[in-house]
Amino acid sequence: MARKSLGQARSTYKAMVNGWRYQYLISKCFSDPQYYFQVNDHYVRNKLKIVLLPFLNRGHWTRITEPVGGRLSYEPPINDINAPDLYIPCMAFATYLVLAGISLGLSGKFTPEALNWKFVTGMMGWFSEVMLLKVSILSLGGGEAPLLDMVAYAGYTFTGMCVAVLGKITLGYTYYLIILWTCLCMGIFFIKTMNRTLLSEVRRYDSSKHHYLLLCTALTQFPLMFCLSNISGT
Amino acid sequence: MTKEFGVPPVVFPSGGNPTVAAGGNTQQRLVPTAPFQPPRPSNSGIPFMSFEVGSAAATTSGPIGGGTGPIGGGTGPIGGVANFDDEEPLLDELGIHPDQIWKKTKSILNPFRANPTFHKDSDLSGPIFLYLSFCLFQLLAGKIQFGVILGWIVVSSIFLYVVFNMLAGRHGNLDLHTCTSVIGYCLLPVVILSAISLFVPQNGALRSGIAGVFVIWATRACTNLMVAVADGGEEHRGLIAYACFLIYTLFSLLVVF
Repeated sequence: MARKSLGQARSTYKAMVNGWRYQYLISKCFSDPQYYFQVNDHYVRNKLKIVLLPFLNRGHWTRITEPVGGRLSYEPPINDINAPDLYIPCMAFATYLVLAGISLGLSGKFTPEALNWKFVTGMMGWFSEVMLLKVSILSLGGGEAPLLDMVAYAGYTFTGMCVAVLGKITLGYTYYLIILWTCLCMGIFFIKTMNRTLLSEVRRYDSSKHHYLLLCTALTQFPLMFCLSNISGT
Repeated sequence: MTKEFGVPPVVFPSGGNPTVAAGGNTQQRLVPTAPFQPPRPSNSGIPFMSFEVGSAAATTSGPIGGGTGPIGGGTGPIGGVANFDDEEPLLDELGIHPDQIWKKTKSILNPFRANPTFHKDSDLSGPIFLYLSFCLFQLLAGKIQFGVILGWIVVSSIFLYVVFNMLAGRHGNLDLHTCTSVIGYCLLPVVILSAISLFVPQNGALRSGIAGVFVIWATRACTNLMVAVADGGEEHRGLIAYACFLIYTLFSLLVVF
């Protein structure tokens, strides 16, 4: 009997350690990442419309909450168009890399090392934007917004960048007009989402500080997008 | 090229080894003996090269197989003596089954309907062969990209593995080996593209057009196989197809530019 319980203890310990290894680190830093991938075709299409043309959205911008187990939790993206997801940012980043590769190739400067460098700079840009969001939320006093939410919102700018690079490939000199337009759209999208969702986590409400901060984050879209979409230096 | 050694002839006391005629004049190899010497059977077929490869030695020196004398002798006699005729064929021992690889590759050749029955058990030897042929055609075009292509295959299979399992949620049971195997086999259209593009003029819309056709072929094959081989992907077909499309466009960029 002692041997059986020892064997059981050993197997449960092994299972525990294996599960621990995979899930501990993830759950410590991030909220459940699976929530952000509950998407379908319909959500992706409509969300892209909202991100790229935010002024056409006549609906509200708040996220739908539902009581789950006594606490309020947000609906998954499949039920709520305003919820952030991670599928669109990841795919937008990969599309940006592919389009950057095409643009480099068309101007004759394509090497795999250049594309790898684009990957690294894109990741650094994404990371710096997440840090900016995190610092601005922290400075307002509310630190409870999950990190993956901010990663998702920062990643939505890559959709605008894809449109800009596409414009550069196809239309040539109208690229500058297109990039101004997409910066404006991304800024509006940012302001509207941050106003409703992230700042609702903040405890103290300080109106003027809020608005300045929103304006600053929207304005930082401009240099970021210029830097990252300036592919070959021309 | 023989060297002259001034060593006296060595006689091994336990027998089974040939006597060395004279130093430097020997064509036979000296098998180093272990401290203990199990009795050698008289039915070892090859007269002068006696090697002891037990089953334990065969598993430890797995990729080398059982065919090399000095190495087998060097690991020392662990088990009993195995006959050369009793050894498994080398390819079987390595886990490479050429007929299965050929069947899987042929199933990708039909651009309209991929047959997923052979892909349920994944293997990586077919993808390695396709990777080497891709690198060969790129080399013929003047681009040395061995490391780049291998790195991109690894990164893209990890990417597709993460995206598929996250999208499929609780029901996702794709594992990385199967993912890499499917992506590797679906590189076949890109390999054919790189072979064809050796003969297509460099700057032209024709090149991009042909690349587009092959990328769409590879995407269709990869999506059909992914959805058939692992559970949970059926309702996210379009989303997974877009991810595969991005991966194969990246590889076609290497070919086109």
